[in-house]
Amino acid sequence: MNLDPRYTSDALSARLNRLFYQRLVEMDANSMPVPGLADWSQLSPLHYRFKLNSTVGKYPDGRVLNADDVVMTYRSILDKSHASPYQAALSMIDEVKSIDNETVDFLLKRADPLFPAYLEIEILPADHIENDHPFSSQPYGSGEFEFLRWSEAGHLVIQRRDDGQLFEIVEVKNPLVRTLKLLRGEIDILQNDLSPELLDYLRYQKDIELVQNSGSNFSYLGFNLQDSQTSDLRVRQAVAHAIDHQSIIDKVMRGAARKAETIFPPEHWAGNSDLIAYDFDPKKSRRLLLQAGYGPDNPLTLVYKTSSDPFRIRLATIIQNQLSQVGIHVDIKSYDWGTFFGDIKAGNFQIYSLSWVGIRTPDIFRYIFSSESLPPAGANRGRYTNPAVDDLLKKAEQAETLDRQTRIYREVAAQIHKDLPYVPLWFEDQYAAQGSRVTGFRVSPSGNYDGLSHLKLKKSRGNRHAQAATAH
Amino acid sequence: MIDFLISRLLSALLVIVGVVCLVFLLIHLIPGDPVDVMLGESARAADREALRHAMGLDQSIVSQLAHYLTGLLQFDLGDSLYAKQSVVGLLVERIPATLQLAFAALLCAFVIALPLGILAALKRGTIWDWGAMSFSTLGISIPNFWLGPMLILFFSLWLGWTPVSGRESSTSLVLPAITLGTGFAAILARMIRSSLLEVLGEDYVRTARAKGLGEPHVLWRHAMRNAWLPVITLIGLQLGALLGGAVVTEVVFDWPGIGTLMIDSIQRRDYPVVQGCVLFVSLTYVLINTVTDIAYGLVDPRIRYGGRP
Repeated sequence: MNLDPRYTSDALSARLNRLFYQRLVEMDANSMPVPGLADWSQLSPLHYRFKLNSTVGKYPDGRVLNADDVVMTYRSILDKSHASPYQAALSMIDEVKSIDNETVDFLLKRADPLFPAYLEIEILPADHIENDHPFSSQPYGSGEFEFLRWSEAGHLVIQRRDDGQLFEIVEVKNPLVRTLKLLRGEIDILQNDLSPELLDYLRYQKDIELVQNSGSNFSYLGFNLQDSQTSDLRVRQAVAHAIDHQSIIDKVMRGAARKAETIFPPEHWAGNSDLIAYDFDPKKSRRLLLQAGYGPDNPLTLVYKTSSDPFRIRLATIIQNQLSQVGIHVDIKSYDWGTFFGDIKAGNFQIYSLSWVGIRTPDIFRYIFSSESLPPAGANRGRYTNPAVDDLLKKAEQAETLDRQTRIYREVAAQIHKDLPYVPLWFEDQYAAQGSRVTGFRVSPSGNYDGLSHLKLKKSRGNRHAQAATAH
Repeated sequence: MIDFLISRLLSALLVIVGVVCLVFLLIHLIPGDPVDVMLGESARAADREALRHAMGLDQSIVSQLAHYLTGLLQFDLGDSLYAKQSVVGLLVERIPATLQLAFAALLCAFVIALPLGILAALKRGTIWDWGAMSFSTLGISIPNFWLGPMLILFFSLWLGWTPVSGRESSTSLVLPAITLGTGFAAILARMIRSSLLEVLGEDYVRTARAKGLGEPHVLWRHAMRNAWLPVITLIGLQLGALLGGAVVTEVVFDWPGIGTLMIDSIQRRDYPVVQGCVLFVSLTYVLINTVTDIAYGLVDPRIRYGGRP
């Protein structure tokens, strides 16, 4: 784990950091930016003013978070000598300065109506930044939880500040072991990353309760558009029409997902509900393959790359079987995560499956579909290039109002839906399994741990720590 | 004896220098860029270059190696790209757990293997021999990723004797040690059996028996002393494997050792940590083999004097 939010690049650390620190901006249920510890006003397209509000918290030493902390945090992120992964996303910031103890001004190099949405970043205390405090292992913030100690490598003890409730966050990688720990009462709650069988097993245990919520993490099948076979739109359409999403969701995922039609779930403010998903139509798929020059005498063979995660391999095998029904032969190659991801970034694939976790703002389109975002400059891993989309993305960046920007991004989504660099698969549900002494935990659509704020322990036997297990 | 020790330690030092250079070069040959890990996919080319320059990655491989070796002499293995903590600190945090598990597994293996091996050798060709060796075959054949959860199911969930996983209490060590030790016990039992069988046929054992010495005396003072040599070699080699290769057991039992740190770091492409872990494992092998060589000398005086009569 890296609990310094300036350098966090993985989901587990990001979820934990939300507990220790506060942010200027939060996201509502539709992923719209709303005030966090500050309200904001746009004084001009290049000038935003943030005023700290009554939600501002105190650090463990009793000092109240102030404007200097905000300024110092952002300056530290933008400092070239620090390797923060947020530098690129915040590159439009020209200057951050405090006006008084409660007011911070952001001056921009270029206008961006989505700017507040980029400020969902945790604020650190200025004096601790100056003293090079080891935040990565000893988080120190004004959030709802306070770091106490590492009881062991991978075992984090934290305390809820309003009532003193202790929690121990335990990293347990093996899903079966996590399940057994829950059944034996060694942990009180576990979240996500269980196979459908384990999930089903837990569903019928009398002392275990499953809580579930629709998720926003987007799974997709990506194509390499520089490959001689998958660059043909008819081949991509044939693949899209050959996949029976619903039967995979119902039978393999036990209903714990919903079909994706585009990158954003329907409730997202920038979602485009007019887009109709590619339906399961094997006949149409075969027809498209024939048009592309493939048939029984000349079958299409594709290489499908995936990680070595057993569940991902199982999904790949099912998709392989479904594609074989229309005459597409699929060769599955699974690698350890680093090798797999390295191949994907290098464009060394025909098709692959991955998920986007924590997508919030539609500027993701520029990051993954602009011709300027080919790796290593971005995440356009399929090497998709369309001048019309590039043009729209530039217009979206220059749009001065959010409404105008939203309309343009919807056009981008429509064009991408047509060009099909991705086959959208599903949004996997978020779920947690909890023991009998836990109440009040809510699962968030993004899978964060904010639900720990409301978790209560029933008065009962034994340990007064609440213990939560995580997979990563 | 002093000459023998000096020659062993010098050759160990040479091997260590070779290992350090090899590990450094191999890590730099693996595809992937630490800058990608640190700045993410969205970073701009200028920022990448600036960071690459700041980290000295734009220098030649030889000067990078020289810089690494200089750091190594001061026990500085660099910082983790992911956790932003010193690699030495991360290793020091994990080494006690790894040592604890390795030695517990070794003890467990020894406790199982010694009676089994001796029993099989003394009762050669009987049902005892067959039973001990069948058990040993079973021990080698059962993979740890299956044995671990089965032991948890039986001892933790049904009997409630031990925790499922973790390292919180003294009983936490029992199941991982059995899981890791069983496979080794199987190999060790076979080695003790064959080594003892060979020795039991020697003239000096027959002479000892002819002199009317009791069977326990013959076994422990004459036969076992000579049967130890191959067993010590095996223990040395296996201890190295136990220290560096307990990955599966560590993952199953959520044991915070070097194995899990190495796997996590490989997946994150956290090169300085991978380098540190590989270095630790390699050094452990070299050290244990050196100690094994020296132990040979102690057990068998002929080796101490370079084979001279």
